[in-house]
Amino acid sequence: MKDFKQHALLPTPQHDEQARQDFVGALRGHLSGRVMPGNYQLFERRVAPLFAAEHGRAPADEQEIREWMTREPYYQFWSALQRRSQELLWESVIDPTEREWSKLIHRARSKAGAKASARTNARKRGSLRLDAALTVPRYHAAADIHLQPGGYHTDFTADDVAAGAIYDKGINLYMGGALGAENDLMGNTLLAYLRERHPSRQPKRILDLGCAIGNSTVVWAKAFPKAEVHGIDVGAPVLRYAHARAESLGARIHFSQQNAERTDFCDHSFDLVTSHIMLHETSKSALLRILAECRRLLKPGGLMLHLEIPRGRTPIEQFMHNWESYNNNETFSRYMTRIDLTAEARGAGFTAEEVALEEFVPTMDVTQMNYTERFVWNILVAAKHGVGG
Amino acid sequence: MTDPTQPPPEFPKGHRPQVFSDPAIDQLYDGYVILGTELAVAFDRIDTLERLLQERLGMSRAEIDAYKPNEVVEAERQARRADLAQRLLRPFREFRDDRITRGSRRR
Repeated sequence: MKDFKQHALLPTPQHDEQARQDFVGALRGHLSGRVMPGNYQLFERRVAPLFAAEHGRAPADEQEIREWMTREPYYQFWSALQRRSQELLWESVIDPTEREWSKLIHRARSKAGAKASARTNARKRGSLRLDAALTVPRYHAAADIHLQPGGYHTDFTADDVAAGAIYDKGINLYMGGALGAENDLMGNTLLAYLRERHPSRQPKRILDLGCAIGNSTVVWAKAFPKAEVHGIDVGAPVLRYAHARAESLGARIHFSQQNAERTDFCDHSFDLVTSHIMLHETSKSALLRILAECRRLLKPGGLMLHLEIPRGRTPIEQFMHNWESYNNNETFSRYMTRIDLTAEARGAGFTAEEVALEEFVPTMDVTQMNYTERFVWNILVAAKHGVGG
Repeated sequence: MTDPTQPPPEFPKGHRPQVFSDPAIDQLYDGYVILGTELAVAFDRIDTLERLLQERLGMSRAEIDAYKPNEVVEAERQARRADLAQRLLRPFREFRDDRITRGSRRR
């Protein structure tokens, strides 16, 4: 596993807590590298032939595969261990967070407040704007996404940042460290795409939707240091953490607690609107509203980039990707399998010429894939007509 | 400083899938993984201790084998065993939470 960069907002695990996190990482690495691929062999060598013998054809979709695969002991074995490893992952991160909870809140307050009085730095700092009246959407509140207990939005005490600290370390363990020392893989991937396909773009105002702890937002703020960068999310504790984290990393970002379906930003106010694997955590109706909101917020000539996880090219890949949907509280992601994102973007007001769904293989090393052996990112791109951007 | 009074919930909100036809098998698998995790933790700790002992005190493994705990040490060990039992029994608490506690609230 690659080294994760320890920073002031993260709890310092004690010996046994570290050992538990290390084992969860090793277990998940073993599951994805050695056990998961067996599901594809199981399908090709046993389930597909049995299905063909009974139906005289191959399974038509992932639902037909689901019916057969979930009865197989090998799949059951992997699925049970994959689920438990996910819960252990959070447990291993929650223990040190609970132990240092008060300290973390205190540190977040002082990081957010640091330099506040220093006149020279005042203009260089980011900000945090919370909205206690915001309704957390049902797709967030109905189930704890990725099984993180309490989700990303629950405050357990005043000025809580626990959800952020838990998320920061947790997502790094989830990907076996592949997200990088600062959890910046996804931001770097989308940035690499922008640099490769739109090299002349120098966005002056950037908005990152569903930013959580701002791990990807920081990438954009560092890449375009002169730009005004905003990050929004519905979760207060992750935003408090994001703000303190960004300040400690020297990234100037303005975080606000807002729903991406309807923000309070003015029309045509951003050159670049991004999200990093957020769309599949929403809902069918929310997706349409978010895309329409992106169009409203973009300046003429502005660019929308949504990084998304591919849903699989074959029914068996789709079935494997959708494990998350049935077992890891990614309720909406199963529907994403059948959604044409470009059609949704057109439904939200973009023209066919403006929008495209692109596959992008980053040069970065993605070492741990949970559900498929080969991996490409999907990027929903829209360049709004007009001059500017 | 704030003193958090309410810890995050032990279990995530949402559907808990049942993989095997008998939920007891799901619980046993969970227990098996948790046991493996705690064993890995113990191995790391033992490894750390033995290396430090050797490096700093030149102590041999034979001395470790011959060690007898006193009452204070034994009490600490009992607390640790209780913690292990608590972790091991998590799946059963989950089962109780899913099937019994929540079920009875509905009624």
